[in-house]
Amino acid sequence: MEFLTLNKIDVTYDKKKTVLKGLNLEVKEGELVSLLGPSGCGKTTTLRVIAGFIEPSGGEFILDGRNYTKVPVHKRNFGIVFQSYALFPHLNVYDNVAFGLKLQKLKKAEIKRKVEDMLEICGLSEFADRFPGQMSGGQRQRVALARAMVIQPKLLLLDEPLSNLDAKLRINMRVEIKRLQKKFGITMIFVTHDQEECFSISDKVAVMNNGLIEQYDTPENIYLKPKTEFVARFIGFNNFIPLKKQSGGIFITERKELIQVEQETKLEEGLGTIRPDDILLADETVSENVMNATVGVRTFLGRSYQYEVDSTAGKLVVNAPIGKVYEPGDRVRVQLPKNKIIIVRKSM
Amino acid sequence: MKKQLPYLLLMPGSILLIVFLILPLIKVLFPTIYEGTFTVKNYREFFQDAYFMKILIRTLKIAVLCTVISMFLGVPTAYFISRCNKKKRGLLLALTIFPLLTNSVIRSFAWINILGRNGIVNTLLMNAGIIEKPLTLLYTEFSILVGSIYLFLPLMIITVAGTMENIENDLMEAAESLGASRLSAFIKIVLPMSIPGIIVGNILVFTGTLTAYTTPQLLGGNSNLVLATFIYQRAMSLGDWTGAGVVAAVMIAATMVVLRIFNALAAKIDERGEKYA
Amino acid sequence: MRKNKMLVAFACCVFAFLFLPLFIIAVTAFGGESAITFPIQSFSLKWFANIFTSGSFISSFKTSFQIALFATLLALLVGIPAAYALARYTIKGKNMIQSFFLSPTIIPGIVLGFALYRFIVLVMRMPVFYGLLLGHFLAVLPYIIRVVGSSLSQFDFSIEEAAWSLGCGKVSAFFKVVIPNITSGIMAAFMLAFINSFNNIPVSMFLTGPGVSTFPTNLMNYIEYNYDPTVSAVSVLLMAGTIIIMFVVEKTLGIASLAK
Repeated sequence: MEFLTLNKIDVTYDKKKTVLKGLNLEVKEGELVSLLGPSGCGKTTTLRVIAGFIEPSGGEFILDGRNYTKVPVHKRNFGIVFQSYALFPHLNVYDNVAFGLKLQKLKKAEIKRKVEDMLEICGLSEFADRFPGQMSGGQRQRVALARAMVIQPKLLLLDEPLSNLDAKLRINMRVEIKRLQKKFGITMIFVTHDQEECFSISDKVAVMNNGLIEQYDTPENIYLKPKTEFVARFIGFNNFIPLKKQSGGIFITERKELIQVEQETKLEEGLGTIRPDDILLADETVSENVMNATVGVRTFLGRSYQYEVDSTAGKLVVNAPIGKVYEPGDRVRVQLPKNKIIIVRKSM
Repeated sequence: MKKQLPYLLLMPGSILLIVFLILPLIKVLFPTIYEGTFTVKNYREFFQDAYFMKILIRTLKIAVLCTVISMFLGVPTAYFISRCNKKKRGLLLALTIFPLLTNSVIRSFAWINILGRNGIVNTLLMNAGIIEKPLTLLYTEFSILVGSIYLFLPLMIITVAGTMENIENDLMEAAESLGASRLSAFIKIVLPMSIPGIIVGNILVFTGTLTAYTTPQLLGGNSNLVLATFIYQRAMSLGDWTGAGVVAAVMIAATMVVLRIFNALAAKIDERGEKYA
Repeated sequence: MRKNKMLVAFACCVFAFLFLPLFIIAVTAFGGESAITFPIQSFSLKWFANIFTSGSFISSFKTSFQIALFATLLALLVGIPAAYALARYTIKGKNMIQSFFLSPTIIPGIVLGFALYRFIVLVMRMPVFYGLLLGHFLAVLPYIIRVVGSSLSQFDFSIEEAAWSLGCGKVSAFFKVVIPNITSGIMAAFMLAFINSFNNIPVSMFLTGPGVSTFPTNLMNYIEYNYDPTVSAVSVLLMAGTIIIMFVVEKTLGIASLAK
């Protein structure tokens, strides 16, 4: 039995625009799951369904054995950290953090103890009397976290919480979030469009596109074994060769060239994808998965040169060591090592 | 030359204001405190005269009631408008502005037809058998109050909605996620954050009602004078220029005191506001 | 957006309160009876005809239109340079000058009318029309200062300096660069001032004299002596005019520009 289950969630706006179509998601207790995808993919909508701000037109949301689909927001007891932080500008830090506890009608002394503990944990003790307008972005972020955590939520939802911070602070904060998550064992759903942020922090990642989850896996698997063209592109693959299965590990390109692939796949047809770093500029002695190509544009990347080459399997991007320099127009042989090719499903 | 330019630009307006606002005001106000020598006699008489005092108190009473009721009706309505989507909000704002642009004679006239002896309210109540004789609703303090609320409520709604629009929806959602019901989120977040707008709304409605002429004239009749209708009667019917001058001074003073009070209140809130600005 | 049913019902009641009276008036304008009745028993357009046959409505409409137009233009002529000076330059006592220019708002309209009547009609013996014009000018000047001023405060004056640097004289830079960029503010100020002058009663009460009455004061006098649906018919026409103005404003400036 999973801790959190989204079962065939549908969301439509204005009765016309479908945002989520039959979305399924399962999360184990204490996991940190990221929803990753470009803007408009439905990740924020999914989060808002879980939070209760959007009532889905179909499907159900189960948490800890209880159906939450129609529970009003204020009875859910989920902590939410907003992209804008949404701190109450007329309340100081202490009152912001105490807001939820006061609504739980706890005793004053208990509220004080809980708030002070939480401020301590988040390194905010000295700011208790400050107003949000007097604080820096990073400090506000901490207040938002403290305010959401202090109510001991069943679930913590974070909507691009780090996108308004500068690069250095972002890294500090994501370590902080991970630390708090481990400390309290809270189940977290984290929405982001930044893959580095997402991979570094998550136990599992759901890559979303067009209101659907394209792949739900560990960060390592997403990075090394993308299942669809969309996921592959999103995490930086940029060479795609249409392939059809011939037999076993042999695939055939549109130009009838044979390509060997080590990875086992059930797909009869798909795209072979490979990172620019993994393509080799081959000499005469190699014969496996080799194609003739003409060099196009060359750009200097520092540790390597990047070439756009026109091969018999189409245009490819190749990163080659700086030892040997090729000029546009040079004829070369490129090798696609069979253990580096991944077959992915073509995305719409 | 360069330094004189701004003063040159301000000159025509200043001259017109001095000649046609300040001088005339001095002309009507000065005689109220100077009759050969400086005196407060006219004011003492005013405040000792039960009839005058009745009018002053009636005016203040109507202004206070109108402000308070407009606030109770206007704030939730403004909240409703501010939480609508952009398209609906524009429509509702236009609907609110429309009465404001309609002549106040017409807006008062509407209530003559509703509250009059043979008006709609009486006709309805008599047809329903609730009353036998028509109620006297028109030409009472009640009818002035209703007409004034009708006149100034849109002003309150627009002013408050303007402030509430700027409150991010995120804040409401944050409050709800922390366990606040819609109502308590409104009371704990929206209301405190809208106080500046509510104060401005109160200033506009209060000073407006305090100095309104048309509505009390049409809905109050001669037995329910307020300061504005009283001035006119003093000056035009009785030719009592000094008396009218005293009432004018009282009206200006009352307006200024009200502005002072509300501005002090606003400043106090701003002081807190500066911390979170 | 999810909404509370109570709040929706409350807001509906408030809007009903705001519009039912106007709706009732509009309906009574089409009644055939000689006294106002609601609901109407028969249909007639004779009250509309009545407006145009009784000369006082037409002539007072003309007066009000002229007064509103001239008072607004005068206020723009005087108010725009003043607003510009206040927004552009750091001058001593800026706040005081600003409140001085806004001071007509704290003087109740009836007091303004009374003072002007005493001073320029009785003492200076100015014709009634000019008294009205000046009174309305004073009443609308604050709108100009406020609305044009707020639009100038958002204007980036480095644009004006750029024009100077390109060889444009100060006066011509003002007309070629500043004015075109605050047109919408000026238009909004014009509309607000015009409508307020046209509808104004307190200032006019004292200043209308023999042969000169404004449209609203004429309407008010009519109500005091007659109880027939002519006023309803007038209301319908005025409301129709208001709707047209609002529509034009919405298409050009956006309706929010009148909510200042």
